[in-house]
Amino acid sequence: MTETIAYNILQVLFVLVFAPLYAGVLSRLKEMVQSRRGPSIFQSYRDIWKLFHKDEVISEETTWIFRFTPYLVFVMPIFVATLIPVLTDYPLAFAFMADMVGAGFYLAVAGFFAALAAVDTGNPYGPMGASRTRMVGFLAEPVFMIVFFTVSFVAQSTIPYIVQQKWVASAAAFFSPAHILLLMAFLMLILAEGGKIPVDNPAGHFELAMIDESKGLEYSGRAAALMKWGGQMKFLVLACIFLNVLVAPWGLAHGTNPGAVFAAVPQILFKVFLFALLLVVIETSLAKLRLFRISEFLGAAFITSVAAMVTSIFPGA
Amino acid sequence: MTGSVPQALNTLCAGLILIAAFAMVATRQVQGVVRFFVVQSLLLTASCFLLGYGRGSIHLWALGAITIACKVIAIPLVLRKVLPGDYYERREISQAVNIPASLLIALLLTITAEFLAGPLVSAANDPVIRVNLPIGLAGVLIGVWSLIARREAIPQLIGILAMENGAFLAGIAIASELPLIAELAVAIDVVLIAVVAGLLTRTIRETLGTTEAAALRALKEEPASWR
Amino acid sequence: MALMLIVALPLLAALLCWIRPLRNAAWPITLVTAWAVFALSILVAIRVIADGRVIGLAGWFEADGLSALMLVIVSLVSALAALFAGGYMQRTEHEEQSRLWWFYCNYNLFAFALLVVPALAEPNLVWVGVELITLFSVLLVGFESTAGALEAAWKFAVLTIMGAPIALFGFFTLFWAYRSAGGGWETWEGLRASAASMNPDILKLSFLLVFVGFGAKTGLAPMHTWLPDAHSQAPTPVCAVLSGVKTTVPLYVILRFLSIVLASPMARLGHWMVVLGLISVAIAAFLLLQVRDYKRMFAFSTVEHMGIILTAAGLATQAADYGAVLQMLNHAITKSLCFYVAGVILLTIGTREIASVRGLFRVSPFAASALLFCSLAIAGAPPFPIFLSEFSILSAGLRAGQYAVVAILATLIVIAFVAILMHVNQMAFGEPARLYGSKTALPASCRTAVVAAALPVIVLGVYIPAPVNDLLQLAAHQLGGH
Repeated sequence: MTETIAYNILQVLFVLVFAPLYAGVLSRLKEMVQSRRGPSIFQSYRDIWKLFHKDEVISEETTWIFRFTPYLVFVMPIFVATLIPVLTDYPLAFAFMADMVGAGFYLAVAGFFAALAAVDTGNPYGPMGASRTRMVGFLAEPVFMIVFFTVSFVAQSTIPYIVQQKWVASAAAFFSPAHILLLMAFLMLILAEGGKIPVDNPAGHFELAMIDESKGLEYSGRAAALMKWGGQMKFLVLACIFLNVLVAPWGLAHGTNPGAVFAAVPQILFKVFLFALLLVVIETSLAKLRLFRISEFLGAAFITSVAAMVTSIFPGA
Repeated sequence: MTGSVPQALNTLCAGLILIAAFAMVATRQVQGVVRFFVVQSLLLTASCFLLGYGRGSIHLWALGAITIACKVIAIPLVLRKVLPGDYYERREISQAVNIPASLLIALLLTITAEFLAGPLVSAANDPVIRVNLPIGLAGVLIGVWSLIARREAIPQLIGILAMENGAFLAGIAIASELPLIAELAVAIDVVLIAVVAGLLTRTIRETLGTTEAAALRALKEEPASWR
Repeated sequence: MALMLIVALPLLAALLCWIRPLRNAAWPITLVTAWAVFALSILVAIRVIADGRVIGLAGWFEADGLSALMLVIVSLVSALAALFAGGYMQRTEHEEQSRLWWFYCNYNLFAFALLVVPALAEPNLVWVGVELITLFSVLLVGFESTAGALEAAWKFAVLTIMGAPIALFGFFTLFWAYRSAGGGWETWEGLRASAASMNPDILKLSFLLVFVGFGAKTGLAPMHTWLPDAHSQAPTPVCAVLSGVKTTVPLYVILRFLSIVLASPMARLGHWMVVLGLISVAIAAFLLLQVRDYKRMFAFSTVEHMGIILTAAGLATQAADYGAVLQMLNHAITKSLCFYVAGVILLTIGTREIASVRGLFRVSPFAASALLFCSLAIAGAPPFPIFLSEFSILSAGLRAGQYAVVAILATLIVIAFVAILMHVNQMAFGEPARLYGSKTALPASCRTAVVAAALPVIVLGVYIPAPVNDLLQLAAHQLGGH
C-alpha cells in the first residue's frame, strides 16, 4: 500500500519535473527542423526560476479570480497526474479517486478559470483570446466525450488503467480501424487543446492572433511562473493520456519493485520524446488554420471519433 | 478474432482507406483530392499484397501490381498530361454543403454500409470479409456522396475512381479468384475513364472557360418565362 | 465462328478508319462492316433457333436465344444508322469534316462494345463491355463541341460512369454467391443453374447494386436525368443508336440478373421491378407533356419504353416475358426510325425546337409524313409493332391477375400517346411559320435509311415471321425459365 502511494508521488514528481523539459525539447526540435539553433532544452527551467524571483504587478481592476487562477492552473494537472498511468500499468493508490470523465473535469475547471481570469483583467486582448479559447473548447468537447465513451464502452470501464489493457490484447485489436480512428481523433484533440499548430501558434507574439497564449498575458512574477508551468504540465499530462492509455502501454512498469518503476522513467521519457518528434513534424509541415476553419478541423475530429465508435460497436470490425 | 499479422495489418489498411475516403470529402483543393486518391490506392495495393501473402494467392499479388500500375502511376500521370496546366491550383471556395455537414453525411453513409453488409458478414465466417466488405461498401457510398457534393469536374471523377477502390477492396475479399483477364480489363477500363474524363474537362474548359460542373446548366426543363 | 467475327469486325473497321490513308474512306468501311455484321448476326440467330445455343469460345463467347436477339437488334440498328450517318454527317459544320474519321472510328468502337456485351458469357467481362459502351458513347455525344453538347456529355459521363463501380460491386457479390454455392467457371448458364442454392441475402444485395448501377445507364427513373440531354445533343445517327439499343443493352444485363434472382426463391423482387418500371413510365409520360425539343421528346419516350420493358419483366410470366422481348425488338427499330426522321427534320428546318416547326407538310412532305408515321408508331397506335407488344404485355398482366398494374400502365401509355401526338400535330400541320430557307434536297443516304428503317416497322406491325417468333420465344424462355 505504501509502495503504491510512493509510486503515485513519484508519478506526480515526474510530471512536475519533466514538463518544462518537454516543452524545451519541443521548441528546440522545432527550431532545429527549421535550420535554426534554438534555445537550450533547459531554458524553461531557467525561465520559471527567473519568474519566481520577480515581483508581481497586479491590476487594481481585478478580483480574487485573477489571483486564485494561477494556483488552480498549477494544481489541476497534478490531480490528473495521479489518476492516469504515467509510470506503471497497474492502478495505484489514488487511481480510483476519479475516472477519465473526472480527469476531463479537472482540466476543464482549470481552463474555465483561466478564461475567466483573462476576462477579469479588462485588457482588450484577454477577453478576445478567452472567447476564442472557449470556442475551441466547446468544439472539442464532443470529441472528448465520444472518445471517452468509445474507449469506456469497449473496455467496460472508465478507469484509465483498465482501458489501456484493451488495446493491446491482440494484434488485431491494436490495428483495428476503431483504434486507429481513435488515435487520430485524440491527436487532433491534443493539438487543439494544447494550442499547437494547426489550431494556434504557440511561438507567436501577435496578440490579435493568440488563442491559448492570451490567458497568460497579464500575469507577472510568481503567478506567471505558475501559469507557465501549469500549462506545460497540462500538455505533458495530455500526452501521457494519449500515449499510455490510448496507444500502448509500452515502457510502463509491470512489476511492483522500485527498480522496475525507476526503470520506467527513462522509457516513458523516450516514448514522450518520440511523440515530440511526431508533433514537430506535424507543426512544421502544416500552416495555422484561419479561425473559422478551426470548426472544420474539429468537426473532422468529431467525425473521426464517431466513426471509431461506429466501427467498434458494430460486430466484427 | 484470430489475429495473424497479415490480417491485422489488413485491418489497419482498411481503416486507413476509410480515413482516406473521409479526407477526400473534407479537402478543398483539387490537388488534395488527387493525392488522397493515390494514398487510398496505395493502401488498397497493400491490402492486396497482404491478402495474397495470407492466402498464398499469386492472383492477388498480380492484382496488387496491376493496381499500382494503373491507379497509383498511370492515372495521375494521365491527368497531368491531359488537364490544362493551372488546373491543379484550383480550390473549391464554397460548397453546396459545408465541410462538417458533408463529413457527417459521410459518417451516416458508413453506418448505412455497416448495416447493409451486416447479414452478409455474418453469413461468411471470414475475418477478412468482416473488415473489407463493410468498408468497401462504405467507400462506394462515400464516393457517391463526394460525387454529389463536389462542384469541380476532376474531384467528381476522382469520386468515381474512389468508388472503384471501394468495390475492389470488397472484391479482393469476396471474389479473389476472379479470372485475371477480368481484373486486367477492369484496370484498363479505369484508366480509360480517366482519359475520357480528362479530355472532356479540357474541352469544357476551353469552350466554357470554367470547369465547375455547376456552371453547366443550359439544358433544363424550365418554362420560358422563368429564364 | 460467326460469333467471333461479329465481335472482331467492328474492331477491325475502327482500326482501318484510324489509318491515315484510309481516313477518307471511313464511311464506306463503316457501312460495309455494319451490314456484314448484320448478316452474320442473322446467321447466328438461325443457328440458335436450330440448336438452342451457339458457342464461339467455350466459357467466354456464347450466344443463347436472348443474346442472339440482342445481336440482331444491335446490328440492325447500327447498320441503318451507319447508312443514315453518311449523308447526315456531310451536312455538319465544315470544321468538323476533317474529324469525321474520328467519328467513324469511334462509331465502330461503340458498335464493337454494343455487340460484345450480348456475345459474352462471362459476366465480369460483360461489365467491362458495358463500361466500354459508356466510354465510347461519351466521346460520341461530345463530338460536336458546342456548349450544349459538352454539358450533355459531362452529365452523361458522370451519371453513367457513377453506376459502374456500384455495378462492379454487385458483380463481385454475385461471384461470391456463386462460388460459395460451389460453382465453377462463371457463365450465365452456370449462374442460372445454381441460382437456387445461392445465399438469398447476397443475391439480393448483388441485384440491388447491379440494378442501381446499370439502371443509371438504362435511364430508369430517378437516374434518367442525363438521357434527354445526351440523346438530343448528340449527332442524330448516334442518337438513334443510343436510344434504340444503347439503353436496351444494360437493361438486357439487368434482365439476365433478374432471371437468376427469380430462379432462386425470392419472387418478391418481381413486384419491386413492376413498381420501379411504372415510376419510370409515369415520369416520362408527364415530362412528355411539357417538352420543348422534339429530340428530347423522343428521348423521354425511350425512358417510357424502358420502364414498360422492366414492368413486363417484373410480371414474370411466360406471356409477359414474351411481351418484354417483343417490346425490346420493336422499340429498337421504331425508336431508331424516329431519330432518323428527327435528323431529317433537323436538316430541313435547322432547329430542334418544337415551337419553331410549323406546317411541315408544306415544307417537306417526305419529312412530315415520316414524322407522322414514326410518332404514331412510337406512341403505340395500331397497326404498328409497338401496339402489338404493349397489347401483349397488358393482356399478359390481365391474365396474371395484376389488374391495378395493367390499369396504371394503360393510363400512362395513353397519356404519353396524347402528349406525343399533340406535339407532332403542332409540327406537321398548319401554315409554315416562316420561310425555312432554300429547300436543299435531302441526302440520298438519309432518305434510304428512313425508308429502310420503316420497312421492318410496317412488316412487324401486322405479321411476325415464324423465325422471328421462334427467336422471341427462345429469348423469353431465357428470361423467365418457365
